[in-house]
Amino acid sequence: MFRGLRTYGVLAPFAILLAFPFYWMLVTMFKEDLDLYNTSNVPYVYNPLRWKFWESATTKHVTFLFTDTDYPRWILNTAIVGTLVVIITLVVALPAGYALARYSGRWGQTAGVAIFLVYLVPPTLLFLPMSRLIVELGRLPGIDDQRGLQDSLWSLVLVYPSFTIPFATWLLMGFFKTIPQELEDAALIDGCSRIQALVRIVFPVSLPGILTVVIFAFSLCVNEFIYAFTFISTSEHRTISAGVPNQLIRGDVFFWQSLMAATLIPSIVLALLYNVFLDRFIKGFTGGAFR
Amino acid sequence: MEAQAAPWKPETRRWRRILESRRFLAPALLAPAIVFMAIVVGVPFGWAIYLSFTDAVGGSLSGHFVGLDNFTTAWHDENFRRALRNTLIFTFGSQAIVLVGAAIISHYLIRDFRGKWFLRFLIILPWAAPVALGTLGWLWIFDSLFSVINWTLGHGLGVVDTANPPQWLGRPNLALLAVTLVHAWRILPFAVIIFVAGLASIPTEVDDAAKIDGATGLKKLWYVTLPLQLPIALVALLFGIVFTAADFTVVYVLTQGGPFNSTQMLTTWSFQIGINSGSLGEGAAISLYLFPLLAAVSIGMLFFARRAQVS
Amino acid sequence: MARTVDEPNEQRAGMTRGALLRRGTAAAFAVSMFGALNDRALGFYGPLRFAHKQLSGELRILQWDHFVPAYDKWLDGTYLKRWGEKNDVDVKIDHINNALLFSTASSEVAAQSGHDLFQFLSPPSSFQKQIVPVNDIVQEVTKKLGPMSKVGQKSTFNPKTKNYFAFPDNYVPDPIQYRGSLWNQIDTPVRTWEDIRSGAPKLKAMGHPVGLGMSNEIDSNMLLFALLYCYGGFVQNENNQIVFGKGSNRKGAIAALTLMRDIYKNGMSDEVFAWTAASNNQAFLAGRLSLAENAISIARSAEDSGNQTLSDDTWLAPIPRGPVMRMGNEHVMGVYVIWKFAQNKAAAKKYLVDQQLDYREHFLQSKFYNFPGWTGAIKGGFKSIRKIAAADTHKPRGKYTVLTTIAEKYTTNIGYPGYSNAAIDEIFNRYLVPQMFAQVAQGKLTPGEAVTAFDKEFQRIHRKWANQKLV
Repeated sequence: MFRGLRTYGVLAPFAILLAFPFYWMLVTMFKEDLDLYNTSNVPYVYNPLRWKFWESATTKHVTFLFTDTDYPRWILNTAIVGTLVVIITLVVALPAGYALARYSGRWGQTAGVAIFLVYLVPPTLLFLPMSRLIVELGRLPGIDDQRGLQDSLWSLVLVYPSFTIPFATWLLMGFFKTIPQELEDAALIDGCSRIQALVRIVFPVSLPGILTVVIFAFSLCVNEFIYAFTFISTSEHRTISAGVPNQLIRGDVFFWQSLMAATLIPSIVLALLYNVFLDRFIKGFTGGAFR
Repeated sequence: MEAQAAPWKPETRRWRRILESRRFLAPALLAPAIVFMAIVVGVPFGWAIYLSFTDAVGGSLSGHFVGLDNFTTAWHDENFRRALRNTLIFTFGSQAIVLVGAAIISHYLIRDFRGKWFLRFLIILPWAAPVALGTLGWLWIFDSLFSVINWTLGHGLGVVDTANPPQWLGRPNLALLAVTLVHAWRILPFAVIIFVAGLASIPTEVDDAAKIDGATGLKKLWYVTLPLQLPIALVALLFGIVFTAADFTVVYVLTQGGPFNSTQMLTTWSFQIGINSGSLGEGAAISLYLFPLLAAVSIGMLFFARRAQVS
Repeated sequence: MARTVDEPNEQRAGMTRGALLRRGTAAAFAVSMFGALNDRALGFYGPLRFAHKQLSGELRILQWDHFVPAYDKWLDGTYLKRWGEKNDVDVKIDHINNALLFSTASSEVAAQSGHDLFQFLSPPSSFQKQIVPVNDIVQEVTKKLGPMSKVGQKSTFNPKTKNYFAFPDNYVPDPIQYRGSLWNQIDTPVRTWEDIRSGAPKLKAMGHPVGLGMSNEIDSNMLLFALLYCYGGFVQNENNQIVFGKGSNRKGAIAALTLMRDIYKNGMSDEVFAWTAASNNQAFLAGRLSLAENAISIARSAEDSGNQTLSDDTWLAPIPRGPVMRMGNEHVMGVYVIWKFAQNKAAAKKYLVDQQLDYREHFLQSKFYNFPGWTGAIKGGFKSIRKIAAADTHKPRGKYTVLTTIAEKYTTNIGYPGYSNAAIDEIFNRYLVPQMFAQVAQGKLTPGEAVTAFDKEFQRIHRKWANQKLV
């Protein structure tokens, strides 16, 4: 009992500090303009103060988000890009991580470090040559002779794996190292080829590791801002990271309530998802081959 | 279960023998990753290096060769040196907070208790928010006029002067603090998760052995938990450092590098020079300063982590 | 445990027609979502589909989200449709946030692909080598409408290369907006900078400081450059040479820096160092500020906000007079460039000409925000404009005629008396002037030191662009 109290005593302040901005977003998004932009009002409540406090609040800023902007479209775009990038990441990183874990001995260590160095190149600089790259790469197979992949979500699908694959490879490499060799050897003795052993034994066992990669890769995609903003200029093709600041900040007017709503909704959804998967995900780090 | 020996044709058998060969399989499995990275990252990176030695302007991807001029010009600019200093301050300041916070939180979070799911949900929220949007939320929280923090401190607790509240984004020291806090806020959940995973991976045998040896409480923490947690902690620290030092969005959204360029980081300063002012070659040189810095830190930590690993 | 070897073969057994159809539809959907294929082939995108006419060209325009949302609605929904139909062109327009215009432009230049017409809110001198000079259409419009406004001329002409590198479509004057009742209370006019210096402390004591920004954002930049003009602290001369640290310029600059330091110390609060472009709007609309300098977005927002008292108390005035002159900057210089790699240059040129020739509607729909680059674009020039502005019924009546006077007499380009060249552009975009004022105001540098230090930096930047033969 006492132990439980101490746990709450330590964790609750942290949780409050971390989650406070979101509580604040929740309050702000229902505020009327006259209420929000009034310095003499108490910001935590809806003014004018009433018993039926919801009468001083409004949902018009939230509905504005869904009816007057391309917000639903952006969410869809983000989800699609995220999913595709995660798939590509897994397809490329799983074999690569396995190869580095099993087959490469000493140079595998160096390769692991080298992979990591890719993160040290800031996208604030890279996005310019990348812009050219996506145009040229799109022109090659004749997708669009003039503009290649510019202004298309495929450009993001092409470029995002560049920062998810290193992380995934690195993570999976570490994970595969914890899977005992005996498991594969047993399969080989039974007559499987190496590739079959890989696909049928190792990958299923490494499901927690795969889930880990899925969550991190997806969150990296959702967070990305620079490429999303500069590669795509048409509003319907944007992701939420780029679309929200673009349409909800007009010149010198910030639509604060809608901005708060636009942030809160995906954050809650993603946090719920991550939380649900968290237990499976932790096993990803422990490398639990034997359950 | 038995494997059926299918009647393979000679060519297939040769293919299979090749695929069985370790020496072939490893490169084959690595090839997609390497080719992809070489094209999508290698080419732009090489180009960026080329640009840093030219006087390219206005988005143009070519220019005249100017040797190391961009690098020396950058170095002699006071704003650049401040950006470099700030990058270090933000990175190590925020990660120190993250490290301590995550160590404490994870220690309690691995136990089971009522409400754990909900508390964990709250703790995860900052990391789940897309960074550009979450930072916009903080921009409103730190607003020069409507800051809820200032309201609470002023009207609520009476600690500050309501007519002249602290300008979180307007005074250089406060702005540095604000940016560091936001960086720490968004990385903390990420570190907590990694720490929790690390703690959960300590085999129960170790726990039992410790108990048998009589190590409990603080002794256990010092002699057993911390050493075992070290490799995981280093991983979390390393990613935290990289994600913070190479981050552009937080500073750009919160302060645009102000007040008067006192919160610029290498990434935002290179953007300011290379993109907004059109001096692309100079901007490229500035952002390249980041690379050796982080490389040294990363390599150092990775080797240290490997040595600290308990097999 | 391992499955038998034969299983994969079974799974690869023939696709049913249904599966094929589903995949085909999914593929088409994916492609349309992502717009990677030529849209004319699939017809999945774009708001205009003329059933009877096959449009013979495509024009892609990029410009900012106009502060007045109604303007964008009218432009996209009515004007572009009309123009497109008349000229047999499929017009597509994208709006982006003005803060990221430069990064999008850089990206298009790097990619050598993008929009045909790109709008900037300040003359994009650093992109001069990437664009098609528009001398021909400037000549055509000048022939029909008379001379270009001075501010347009100095903003888009490069005397070194003798080219117009951008088409000056519109500019936005930058008035002072102030609370008439408050200034009346302290019995001070808003005429000279000395008035501001003496009035600010009294107003701050009443809880209504003045709001003159010194942050890394556009309002501060425009204001402080103009303040330097008023005090004679010019950064460059008519020949585009940096003269900041010399003679009367140095004296003027020091006087201006001292003025702002005084106003800050006694009449403003720390918030002015933390401002975004929206901050002075918000502070004024909240009733806090007694004075701000901004485009009329503040006045118009006040009218829309529902706060009638505040709106009726919002007066416009030209920038205060300094010892040397009274001169302000344009708040925004709306120019268009045509990229060298534009696909449809002909349509782009025609669009620009047509838009300028008939500017009256643009002026009205933007609620007087956009003044035309050629004053003759509205028939009757400034006389007409004044009449239109006077017809606005918001109180205090006639405040927008002041706006016309400002546009006519007190608006000039960044870099006055020189041109808006690449060097001034970089100085502007690096927020060096707000940085200088802020450092002096916060006591980090004395005015004299600041002028010396920043003059050196201005010279260095100028040298760099002179080497590129653009200055």
